[in-house]
Amino acid sequence: MPLKLDSTEAPDFALTDTEGNRVQLSQYRGKKHVVLVFNRGLF
Amino acid sequence: MAQLRQDYEEFVARRAEVVVVGPDSESALRDYRRKENLPFVVLPDPAHTVAKRYGQQVNLLKAGRLPAMMVIDKQGLVRYQHYGSSMQDIPPSKEILAILDGLNREEVA
Repeated sequence: MPLKLDSTEAPDFALTDTEGNRVQLSQYRGKKHVVLVFNRGLF
Repeated sequence: MAQLRQDYEEFVARRAEVVVVGPDSESALRDYRRKENLPFVVLPDPAHTVAKRYGQQVNLLKAGRLPAMMVIDKQGLVRYQHYGSSMQDIPPSKEILAILDGLNREEVA
């Protein structure tokens, strides 16, 4: 089921960042845009 | 990543947060972030849970070992995707900043 690019909801997720803070994607909703980068190995 | 670090304030000025997900261990990424003085959020995901989720659920991520970047707007919608053709292939900041400018204009309109 191909979804239109401009209407695809980003799946929410939660991970702990390198400084020990829990980060959930949806925490940015209504507040900030997110530039999400998937790196594939140590930078 | 040097490019993202250098231009970080430009992203912030456009009301965006930069979030990098990497497959390396938490300790390796923490050391790297501190050594390189990276200002953005770095999320270790050695189990690849997020990449898998994005790949399986909505086909956002092609399988493979190349980097990907997406812009998610304030409503939580994916508005832009880029798939690297090599490990170093991340779009120029100005391209991403232009996307963010477009999103901010939409909000005003």
